[in-house]
Amino acid sequence: MEATQATPVKYDMDVVRWFTIMAVVYLVVGTLVGVYIASELAWPFLNFDIPEITFGRLRPLHTNAVIFAFGGCTLMATGYYMVQRTGATKLWSNGLAWFTFWGWNLIIVLAVITLPLGITQSKEYAELEWPIDIMITIVWVAFGLNHIMTTAIRKTSHIYVSNWFTMGMIIMISYLHLVNSMAIPVSLTQSFSIFSGVQDAMIQWWWGHNAVGFYLTAGFLGIMYYFVPKQAGRPVFSYRLSVLHFWTLSFGYVWLGAHHLQYTALPDWTGSLGAAISLAMIIPSWGGAMNGMMTLSGAWDKLRTDYVLRFLVVSLAFYAMSTFEGPVMSIKTVNALSHYTDWTVGHVHSGALGWVAMVSMGAIYHMVMKLWNTKMYSDNLVNVHFWLATIGAVVYVVAMWVSGIMQGLMWRDYDEYGTLTYTFVESVSAMHPYYAMRAIGGMIYNLGAWIMLFNVVMTVRQATAARSVNTATANA
Amino acid sequence: MEYLHTDWMQMTLNDWLGVAYTVLGLLAMIVVYVMVLHPKNKEAYNSQSDMALRDDDEHNNLGDKQ
Repeated sequence: MEATQATPVKYDMDVVRWFTIMAVVYLVVGTLVGVYIASELAWPFLNFDIPEITFGRLRPLHTNAVIFAFGGCTLMATGYYMVQRTGATKLWSNGLAWFTFWGWNLIIVLAVITLPLGITQSKEYAELEWPIDIMITIVWVAFGLNHIMTTAIRKTSHIYVSNWFTMGMIIMISYLHLVNSMAIPVSLTQSFSIFSGVQDAMIQWWWGHNAVGFYLTAGFLGIMYYFVPKQAGRPVFSYRLSVLHFWTLSFGYVWLGAHHLQYTALPDWTGSLGAAISLAMIIPSWGGAMNGMMTLSGAWDKLRTDYVLRFLVVSLAFYAMSTFEGPVMSIKTVNALSHYTDWTVGHVHSGALGWVAMVSMGAIYHMVMKLWNTKMYSDNLVNVHFWLATIGAVVYVVAMWVSGIMQGLMWRDYDEYGTLTYTFVESVSAMHPYYAMRAIGGMIYNLGAWIMLFNVVMTVRQATAARSVNTATANA
Repeated sequence: MEYLHTDWMQMTLNDWLGVAYTVLGLLAMIVVYVMVLHPKNKEAYNSQSDMALRDDDEHNNLGDKQ
């Protein structure tokens, strides 16, 4: 039985508002950089022979912007929002929450400066140099401490499953980030990993896949389990299944990283184990996706008119699709074809554009209306954004699927004399139409992000103007 | 069988720590699954399925802009 509130709670929502707005800004910036580097691959003259804007420098900026800037701000906004509302309590420390806001944004600014300058640890999804790594640790632990302590002072007896997902993510990412970032600094802008050889590769992908598993999956599943029921106005289809989903993910995901290193110096059994557990993970992932979709039982008609709900439901379809595709790609026979090709890029983006970003957009639209106590400036623009995001993601992913499978087939094709049929350059040339198609898909997606930013800004302005009128009327 | 062969004498402290961690993880996983799937706990879990919906009704939302 839940304890009920005797007195109203005044939540700390200003910090949530700012994280929400910055998330939308970083969505625009991150996808814009993505579009530019995709265009560079299709039309290389866009390098303009300027080292700072070449693909190699801007690609980590793109991944850091979308994962840590957009994704991080979304996770912190929703994390602080959900933990207060489901716990019926304000934040343990509003000051610490503001520290995480300014600290996280400072880290993003430093990433924008250092990565184009080529200052990097060269570890995928962990490129930032050691001083920034230390800052990330401090800010992330502050976020974790605040979230966990707010959970501890909650006024409800039960801890809602979304908060379990968020706390699981926080604890695991702290651990992963600390271990993966261990390095010996030689100057302020250069360091060397304490790991070497195949151990370095294993640690890299132990981090890399768990960044996907905990940061981009567990964290956003927490969002899904709160915002799908809220937007649909329906209880979670099976709460017990959601708890099982959390624990299965927590116990299973940490084993998967080795599947990134099939056919390498890593012992053969390690990759096989990673692939086997990857396949097993289809069960909880699909169980969770079905749980989210079945939450709409009795409310499917809302999809005709509720454009925010569309984002959330389509994100679940992409979640189910990419959590099936990933395990299949980890099987050695499939991996022999797919690895090092654009198929992997397509897979990542079906998860990123389709699952992570779409569920975030749904949550952000929901929060904007709640946080500013208003309706969206334009529901039609939300609908336009939904279709641009869906079409953009599909165009991008299909282009990379076709391109990737073609690459894999060309690279391993032999003629009757046992020599390679195609040179590498021929495979690059064959990719051109698909690289152009990918850039167009990204442009469509980015256009949707601009529309979202416009709509959110206009909504905030509209709400602010309405409050000013109300205040003036009350004072008159 | 050759594939599964293990030279136990070559196990380092790190290897044994890994084994212990894995076995403990497996036992913890079994305990959690039994707890979640036990029929007597079903109602207790599912009674929380509308918890996200309660926050608007039961808990005043004064932190939001008025």
